[in-house]
Amino acid sequence: MSAGARGRMSAGARMIRLQRCAACGTAQYPPRAFCHHCLSDRIGWEEADALPGRVLARTSLHHTHEPRFRAHLPITLALVRFDAGPVAVCFLTGTAAPGDAVRVRRNEDDLLEAA
Amino acid sequence: MSARGYEGVVACCPVTEPYVRRSDHGAAWFLAAVLRRLCAAGGLAKAAIDGLCVSSFTLAPDTAVAFTQQVALSPRFLEWLPMGGACGVIALRRAARAVQAGDAEVVACLAGDTANATSFRDLLAGFSSFARDAVYPYGAGGPNASFALIADAYMRATGATRADFGKLAVAQRANAAGNPLALLREPLSLDQYLAARPIAEPLHLYDCVMPCAGADGFLVMAEDRARRLGLPGVRILGAIERHDAFPDDPVQLRGGWAVDRDALWAQAGLAPRDMQVVQTYDDYPVISMLQFEGLGLCAPGAGPSFVRDNDFTIAGTLPHNTGGGQLSQGQAGAAGGYLPVVEALRQVLGQADGRQVADARRALVSGFGMINYDRGLCSAAVVLGRAGV
Repeated sequence: MSAGARGRMSAGARMIRLQRCAACGTAQYPPRAFCHHCLSDRIGWEEADALPGRVLARTSLHHTHEPRFRAHLPITLALVRFDAGPVAVCFLTGTAAPGDAVRVRRNEDDLLEAA
Repeated sequence: MSARGYEGVVACCPVTEPYVRRSDHGAAWFLAAVLRRLCAAGGLAKAAIDGLCVSSFTLAPDTAVAFTQQVALSPRFLEWLPMGGACGVIALRRAARAVQAGDAEVVACLAGDTANATSFRDLLAGFSSFARDAVYPYGAGGPNASFALIADAYMRATGATRADFGKLAVAQRANAAGNPLALLREPLSLDQYLAARPIAEPLHLYDCVMPCAGADGFLVMAEDRARRLGLPGVRILGAIERHDAFPDDPVQLRGGWAVDRDALWAQAGLAPRDMQVVQTYDDYPVISMLQFEGLGLCAPGAGPSFVRDNDFTIAGTLPHNTGGGQLSQGQAGAAGGYLPVVEALRQVLGQADGRQVADARRALVSGFGMINYDRGLCSAAVVLGRAGV
């Protein structure tokens, strides 16, 4: 692999990616190998630094079943509906409440973060 | 076209292998224990059972198929129903159809799981591909996180308060006092409920079930066969199931019951007011409220006022989760999906010692299962009536 390709990949690694069907245009999340709407397997990816969405609901976790999360409690999560349609569970930073517009990015752990 | 009814078939012999907080036994031990109890309760030789429905989370890597060899049973009808909180109602439905069609004469329906230090965490981590990829990495809250988001949205949409959820939890704990099978029987006050520590806001400790080990089961057979065996039976007056209903709803504020409830009540020829007992799948009180709404006990969004207007204890206006529900009995994995069925059978058969609802001739039972990602996918319900009524 060339240095240039590696560079492009690592830059791309922090981009948020959303699947969109090349056959019918439906966006979806979580990712899967086919379009949930038309069942085509011609799935493409859209990439952006951040995707706009709106908070549907939020929760603060005070308990976890995984020891590695214990130091981080409480963890605030939101259910976010992307303007593109799909709904995702995201970490929530800041004070956004249900109904508020947010932007969703991919963090260094490859997870979604809304603010 | 409306579905055929379930005439000529009864469910009988509700049995429970008592729940325990933790166990060194595997899931197969619990399932075998329930099978043994079913043979004893039905006065049947094991070989008389020619149909089998099995549900379990912790039986893995085995399924119902491996279980037949473990217990040396040769059924000609076999169902593996990994449908969580809906598996009891769906097993009853499947078994009844098999008996009607002549594909089996006596169907044993079983669900059970073990519980140990790692079983629940392992179950959560591998629950589904969507949960593994898109929920579990966000704090490993398991179903608590997903249901907290649903509860938050439900409270904002309907005006439900924590006290509404608490009223259901407190009533169920009062009901559990009469149930020796319930693991949590000490009284719970609304003040204690409200003061509990947060788990995944707005959910607090007493909104959440306690994982445990245990198993439940029942038999399904032709009504005349049950009569010959001297077994009191319960008729299936109507039954529905639905999976992944309303996939375009951004948040789950309704389950599949809303699609099929008119068909359910039409098949039964009855209405919600004709029920003396209601059993819902109560992994969280908010989910019981979704079931009240979905099954037509109240209008959509009217769950909070319905809860405020009713008394859910044994002697109340709507006896609900009369054995204490999972919130007070514990959640023995897939057996949680059988618990509402088994409790309803006991009530309708007049076998609910210590918590019997007076004149419980008919019961509504609801199931809800499998939070695959952001919502529960399986909805089911059945209307039961005492044979000969």
